[in-house]
Amino acid sequence: MTASALLVEKATKIFPGVKALANVDLELKSGEIHALLGENGAGKSTLIKIVTGVYRPDEGSVSVMGSSVDFSSPRDAFAAGIGVVHQERNLIPRYSVAENIMIEQLPTKWRLIDRGEMNRQAKHWLGALDLNIDPDVPVNRLSVAQMQLVEIARALSQQSRILLLDEPTASITENEIKVLFDLLRRLKGDGVAILFVSHKLEEVFELCDRVTILRDGRNACAGVPIEDLDKQRVVAHMVGREDALGDIGERHASIGKVMFELKGVSTAAGHQDIDLKVHKGEVVGLYGLVGAGRSELAKAVIGAERVTGGEVFVSGERATVRNVQDALRRWRIGYVSEDRKQEGLILLHSVAKNTAITVWHRLGKFLNLFSDRQERDAIISFVQKLDVRTPSLEQDVANLSGGNQQKVSVAKWLAAEAEILIVDEPTVGIDIRTKGYLHRLVWDLAEQGAAIVLITSDLAEMVLLADRVVVMRDFRIIGNLQNTYNYEQMSRRIMGCIHEADVVVGRADGAPALKGA
Amino acid sequence: MTWSHVSRYLIRAEWAPLAGITLFSIVALSLIAPAFLTEYNLFVMLRILSVTSVFALAQMVVIAVGQMNLAVGAIGGLVAILFGGMMEVYGVPVPLAMLIGAAVGILTGWLNGAIIAYSGINGFVVTLAMLSVYTGLNYGITESIPFYNMPQVLLDTYDGKIGPVPNILVIPLVAAALVGLFLFRTRAGRYILATGGNPSAAALSGISIRRSVILAHTVSGALAGFAGMVAVARLGTAEPTIGVDWLLPSFAAPVIGGAILSGGRVSVIGTMVAVVLIVLLENGLLLARTDPYYVQFFLGVLILAAVMFNRWRAVSAEKVTAARENAS
Ligand SMILES: Nc1ncnc2c1ncn2[C@@H]1O[C@H](COP(=O)(O)OP(=O)(O)OP(=O)(O)O)[C@@H](O)[C@H]1O
Ligand SMILES: [Mg+2]
Repeated sequence: MTASALLVEKATKIFPGVKALANVDLELKSGEIHALLGENGAGKSTLIKIVTGVYRPDEGSVSVMGSSVDFSSPRDAFAAGIGVVHQERNLIPRYSVAENIMIEQLPTKWRLIDRGEMNRQAKHWLGALDLNIDPDVPVNRLSVAQMQLVEIARALSQQSRILLLDEPTASITENEIKVLFDLLRRLKGDGVAILFVSHKLEEVFELCDRVTILRDGRNACAGVPIEDLDKQRVVAHMVGREDALGDIGERHASIGKVMFELKGVSTAAGHQDIDLKVHKGEVVGLYGLVGAGRSELAKAVIGAERVTGGEVFVSGERATVRNVQDALRRWRIGYVSEDRKQEGLILLHSVAKNTAITVWHRLGKFLNLFSDRQERDAIISFVQKLDVRTPSLEQDVANLSGGNQQKVSVAKWLAAEAEILIVDEPTVGIDIRTKGYLHRLVWDLAEQGAAIVLITSDLAEMVLLADRVVVMRDFRIIGNLQNTYNYEQMSRRIMGCIHEADVVVGRADGAPALKGA
Repeated sequence: MTWSHVSRYLIRAEWAPLAGITLFSIVALSLIAPAFLTEYNLFVMLRILSVTSVFALAQMVVIAVGQMNLAVGAIGGLVAILFGGMMEVYGVPVPLAMLIGAAVGILTGWLNGAIIAYSGINGFVVTLAMLSVYTGLNYGITESIPFYNMPQVLLDTYDGKIGPVPNILVIPLVAAALVGLFLFRTRAGRYILATGGNPSAAALSGISIRRSVILAHTVSGALAGFAGMVAVARLGTAEPTIGVDWLLPSFAAPVIGGAILSGGRVSVIGTMVAVVLIVLLENGLLLARTDPYYVQFFLGVLILAAVMFNRWRAVSAEKVTAARENAS
């Protein structure tokens, strides 16, 4: 039996109003992939931050390769051979991809940075992830998924013996996940100890050897071999009781007239000939690989990017959406951004203020004055519906766990009561139980008469929720498929669509993409 | 709401330690310097406070939207001399002159905001340029010569009272209350804070960044102009140099009061308490017969000390709660 690569004993961490960790144990062995699971706010990220020197534990000990350590900064952890990808993105926006990847270990020549060598090394690690981007591009030009991959590449480049991954698959699609998993298995073969956090249990069962589960900051179990668990048992550990996963129920679709329509729309972001119809009461899924232009299309629709051609109709009326305000108040279109930290939330404001931001314009009568009470009343039901775990509505959003932040960024758009709602990766980082609530909520909204466009990279989620799946690639729409609710079949047809488009796009005459049935 | 609620609120408030330090300074000063608690000295301080508090609020509103207004003093000076000049040269009655002064403040602030919002140029650069523009206008008009003859009603009103409360106290209280209501209790104010907190998130929530920026600068201009007119009433002359020494305290007060310079978080009460502290410092140094040239030095030290204290408190707050909850 090898010594444990990483051992955490009786770790305790307390934040104002929250006991994030209480006597938590974690053991990571060399050559294993160890899953760390728990609901939103259970303490997973806090544990990782303690191990990597971001926080100091109030009590408890950490040892690496058998010797006890006391990190006072992330640099110490790096020096001790621990590589990490945190849940939140930590890239320096204007720096290039290569600079971000190599930042801890910039190659130099004559004491000056050797850019050629830097780019070469960066390219190597990007290649390991099958990521084909120019290392010279500044990272703020990348999509959320690409940024996540760049951070993984950075952690790989450090070639550490211990690798901690906090929800690395949250915003990447199946193909990239597959490449990542192959790579992780190879690293495991080389004896690297890997900690893997995810809310997608299928991934955990596919990849991991042992499991540690946290519930409300305590160990629900520690280092249990995966063979001894099944999905029900894992959920029971996470939630603290059996039969915790409610059924999502039936979809009672009643699809009405066309509520929202794009005709031959092109945008400054590069979309061409976009035709899209969404009916009242319908959930339309928008699928595509990373970089297909889905979020950009959503932004154009709400007036955050320029529409350069074509026509937009809302309830049959020709609509020119001048800006986001216009979209929300006049046309009642809302957009839940995929990037909660940059575009969704105001981290240093409270849960209440973040949720109410879309309803302020409705509050207040005399001189537009309103009170905290009015604000609270307007939003509390949405915060509760999504089960946001927070000590109070006055807590700063920055202090919530990642999944709970995501819930706030969705809750604010529920509160807006838009008639056309575009939800972009709404369940990223959300635990299974809340994901169930949220799925039901999407259907409820549709059944109450909203038109919903669902963008998600989680194909299973798409097949579960959408009535119709529209497939995008390279800023064009290449397919329009009725959902059969059969995962295998849908996934084959969608991938077929994308593959077929490969051939079409490759043709010199640039013939328009095929439209599926 | 019981007394214990109130006291708990007071103790938890972010500005509580600052208020404690201020109270302590007041007690210490009155023990050390007998001249401190005299009615004359208190009035001297309140008169200074009536100006400083208003221009500190002017800066605070722009900090809230995540920018800086380097032109607060320049706007104050320009409005001051126009206000004084109108009354002396053209005999404009005080209320009308105040209205026009306010309009100039609003206009200059709006201009700052509009240039920033429509050009996309950084607010620091724009207000730096406008600082020079407004100061240049001021000196061009006055040729650096003050207007000496201010109408008696202006001076009498300034030194008058509403009921038992002297106007020099009413001015900062009302200004603070209005700014507080505006920022925290109206849509427009909330939009300003949201814009300062995270412009992209605010924009994607249907808030017009442009409008928030312009409005914040407009309100700032109005307050700066008002501070200029209060300064004229205080001095009894419309000096072209009004506003030249506002810049440092205008930033110091909001920052000591807990504002985050990148925007989105400011405290009206904190700013007001900080203004009191700054005025106390200047007054204490004066009573101690310190060379007035050193006042700047001590103000700088105060800012550093206060900001470090805030930082230390933020860090140790975590530990204190931790200890308390461990014990329970
Ligand atoms: N800086 C902080 N200040 C105050 N509370 C915090 C802070 N960071 C985390 N918390 C709280 O600690 C608890 C654990 O948070 P943590 O981020 O570790 O959860 P998590 O298991 O990673 O959840 P998720 O699945 O949502 O990412 C939560 O209740 C959270 O609100
Ligand atoms: Mg987390």
